[in-house]
Amino acid sequence: MAKPRPVTGINPTRRMRPNARRILATRIDEVYEYDGLVADPAKITELHNMRIAFKRLRYLLEIFGIAFDEDLDPYLGQVKAMQDLLGDIHDCDVQVPMLEAHLAWLEQQEALSVERMLSSTRRARQPADESVALERFRSRLDAARRTDERPGIHTLIAVRRAQRIALYTQFTNEWRRLKHDHFRQRLETTLGLH
Amino acid sequence: MARAWEVNGLSPHAGFRTAAGRIVLTRWREMISYRDGTVVGDDIEELHAMRVSSRRLRAAMDAFVDVFPARSFRRYLREVKRITDTLGDARDLDVAIEHLTILIPDLEPDDRPGIEGLIDRYEEQRRTEDVRIQALFTRLEDERFGESFESWVTKHTGVKVSRLRPAPPGDN
Repeated sequence: MAKPRPVTGINPTRRMRPNARRILATRIDEVYEYDGLVADPAKITELHNMRIAFKRLRYLLEIFGIAFDEDLDPYLGQVKAMQDLLGDIHDCDVQVPMLEAHLAWLEQQEALSVERMLSSTRRARQPADESVALERFRSRLDAARRTDERPGIHTLIAVRRAQRIALYTQFTNEWRRLKHDHFRQRLETTLGLH
Repeated sequence: MARAWEVNGLSPHAGFRTAAGRIVLTRWREMISYRDGTVVGDDIEELHAMRVSSRRLRAAMDAFVDVFPARSFRRYLREVKRITDTLGDARDLDVAIEHLTILIPDLEPDDRPGIEGLIDRYEEQRRTEDVRIQALFTRLEDERFGESFESWVTKHTGVKVSRLRPAPPGDN
C-alpha cells in the first residue's frame, strides 16, 4: 500500500479550516497521480493504490466537512462511488489468485489421501480374484480424490474474471466522466484552494 | 453500515488541536462500543461495525498526526492498525462465506461440491480468527490500552472524554 505523502505547513495552534485545506490539497493530488497509470487494466497495484487514495480523501472530506461553508456531501458521494468501484475490482484481483491457490490446495489434499490409501492397500490382504481387487482399488481411489470439487472453483474463477472486465470498463467510464465534469477543479474551488 | 457517531461540541471554527481531541476520542469510543458484540460473535455485523469504526479512527489519527508527538503517535497508530487488520481478516472470511452461501441455490449441480468445500474451508479458517480476536482484546485489556490511549489524547489536545461524553446517534 502506498504511504500517504507528508503534508507540510500544518500548524496545530491554528483553526481547522486552513490546516484542512493543506491536507486535502495533498490528498487530491495523490488521487490524480494515478491518472494515466490506471489506463492499463493490468496495473493491479496502481488500481489498488488509487482506491486507497480515494479512501483517504473520502475520510478526510467526512472529518473536515464541518470546517467548510459549502456542503461537501455531493463530492463525498462521488469519491465513495469511485472507492467502491475500485474496491470491487480489487476483490476480483484478490479472489482469483485465492481460488487458484485453493485448487492447488485441493491437489495437495488429494495427493496426501491417495498416498494414505495406497499404503493401507499395500498392508491389506488382496482378494484372489484380480477383477474384484481392481474394482476395490478403483473405488478407494475415487473416494480419495476430490475431482468433484474442481468444476465449481473453475466456474467461480471464470465468473470473477468476467466481473473484473465489466467493473474495469465501468471504472474507466466513471473516471473519464469525473474528468469531463471538472470534478477536481470544482472540489478545489469549493475548498477554497484556488 | 453503522452510522458514525456525532462529534459533540465540534464547531466549524474549532481549533485544529481541539477538533483532533474531540474527533479521535469520539471515534475511539465508537469503535470500542462494538467490542463485546464482536467477541460474542452472534452477529457478524457487530464485527463489521467495529472494523468500520476502527478505520474511521485511523483516518482521524492520520488527519491530525501533527497534533501528537511522532514517536508515541506511531505506537498508538500501530495498535489501532492491528485491531483493523485482525478484524479485517475475519470480516473478509465472513463476506466470502456469505457470498458463496448465496450462490449455492443457483449453481449447477456439478459446481456445488466445490463451492460447499470452499465454504467449509473458510469456516474452519474463520474459527481460527475468533481465537486471534479474543487474544488481541485480552492483551489490550491486560495492558490497559484504552485508558492509556484516552489519557494520551487528552494530554495533547486538552479534550477530556468525561466532558465530551461521546454517544451513539440518538443518545445525545
